[in-house]
Amino acid sequence: MASSDIKDFFRQKKRGVSKKPSSSSRKNSGKSSIGTICLPEPTDTPALIAHGKFDLQDFKGDGDEKLRQFDMEMRYGPCVGLSRLERWERACSMGLNSPPEIGNLLRSLSGSNPKLECLWEGRV
Amino acid sequence: MDGATIEDGEMKLFERKQAIYKSLDEKYLVHGQRYKGQQYSQIYFARLHHLRNLLHSLVTKWKPHLEVITVLGLEESRECVIVGTIYKHMKLKPCILDEYSKERTAVPLVKPHNFLHPDDQLILEDEIGRVKLRGSLLNPTDFVTGIGLALHGMKTIEGDFLVQDLLEAGFPPQTKLPRLGEDKYVVFVSGLNVGSNIFNPLQFQLFVDHVTGHLGGDNEQKMTSQIVRVVIAGNSVIIPHSVLNGQALTPEDQRKLTEPIKEVDILLTQLAAAVPLDIMPGPTDPANSFLPQQPLHRCLFPGASSYNTFFSCTNPHQFELDGFQFLGTSGQNIDDLDKYSSAQTKLEFVERTLRWRHLAPTAPNTLGCYPFTEKDPFFIENCPNVYFVGNQDKYETVLLHGPEEQQVRLVCIPRFSESGVAVMLNLRDLNCHALNFSADLDS
Repeated sequence: MASSDIKDFFRQKKRGVSKKPSSSSRKNSGKSSIGTICLPEPTDTPALIAHGKFDLQDFKGDGDEKLRQFDMEMRYGPCVGLSRLERWERACSMGLNSPPEIGNLLRSLSGSNPKLECLWEGRV
Repeated sequence: MDGATIEDGEMKLFERKQAIYKSLDEKYLVHGQRYKGQQYSQIYFARLHHLRNLLHSLVTKWKPHLEVITVLGLEESRECVIVGTIYKHMKLKPCILDEYSKERTAVPLVKPHNFLHPDDQLILEDEIGRVKLRGSLLNPTDFVTGIGLALHGMKTIEGDFLVQDLLEAGFPPQTKLPRLGEDKYVVFVSGLNVGSNIFNPLQFQLFVDHVTGHLGGDNEQKMTSQIVRVVIAGNSVIIPHSVLNGQALTPEDQRKLTEPIKEVDILLTQLAAAVPLDIMPGPTDPANSFLPQQPLHRCLFPGASSYNTFFSCTNPHQFELDGFQFLGTSGQNIDDLDKYSSAQTKLEFVERTLRWRHLAPTAPNTLGCYPFTEKDPFFIENCPNVYFVGNQDKYETVLLHGPEEQQVRLVCIPRFSESGVAVMLNLRDLNCHALNFSADLDS
């Protein structure tokens, strides 16, 4: 989970200027006033950052693109709830002509690589 | 194991006949599965894939001049064939959201037994899209959600699909029926409901004594020595609901919970000592509630499970006996069909599941089911010789003949606690008759 990031979000020490107690100053963080703690924008959903899937930065090569196309291909069935490799193996056993290069790509990845899970893993 | 009688000083011993049994329950076991948070879309995909492959091969013979297209490829006024899963939109289907809605117009306060409504509509769905079905050929009361069909028709101006003809998967293929030279009987019983107030221990004891050969003269004992197996199709035990009210259990309540199963164990020990026995879980038994129900645990039957003739099976249950294929359930699939469609008799529902090649098409829509990812275990690959359904209202049976010389005996087994009827099936000619047990001392 995002426990390691909490310390980055919430400043652990109060700034010397403000005399308000820490709880109310956190509440006022949305409004811009001097000496309050900055929280991340509401649009940055914690889930994206917690799982380390920085989409824009990770977009190197078309290996990723191919995997995403594989996820989206409805011929191989729904992608949510299965790891990509399991879905590829299922497509193979059902005789759906899944491209072998995706299987090779998935098998070459290490165990904790986020590319092994489908696009929506952890987000739905 | 033997029925003995002394007659004129001579000991007549009848040897019980044996039959080779092979359990085919492997595909209904869930223990190899790992729940990863998947949803039911996976099992629908597996079902659609299977049925579509099947129907594609049948459509080429059915309408060779028409092409099969996907739902999104439909064009107006062009005859074609589409293949997909049926979804039935039902107005009265109980929905959790009804409890939260302010208006309560269509939903009556008292839940009806059957949720049919004249406004029900059928929709065909494949992986990518769905289309509403119109036409007088399809009567929504005969269909339920989850069936795979091929439909011939064309798209109308409103965007619906006008159905001109339909194709079901049809009877599965059957391996050739073996020939038995002698009479061998299988006894089916279900709905013992031990623990309810309608259970009559004397009646079931009569059944046990009869099957084990402790009753009757030579003729009866000869007949019972030909019984090769007893199958108990669900609902052996009923937990009194007064105990399950969320309060902590007093020792007396705990005794109320365990007494029925202990009683069943005592009775089953007598049976297992004499004849091979299969027990299936039912809706009221202490097993998981969704299909496929896993076998009842051996620790529930400390006495009976010590015999190697005692087999605890899944629901649905599939096995082979001397080459004859048996398939059966404890009734949940047919009861659910009864709620969402209509037919003249329960046997008609059973026949429909065979024609649709699917044991429980309403799973997982209205019937609880495990979210399998790679397969749909309720798909009927091969036509059974005997297809039995337990816990029904009355005893009904018919011998069906399929288009490719398949022969299936359909049996609806009544609840023993209500009717006192068990069913005896002769493997030699697939004939069935009822065994009536009455322990009424007044009549």
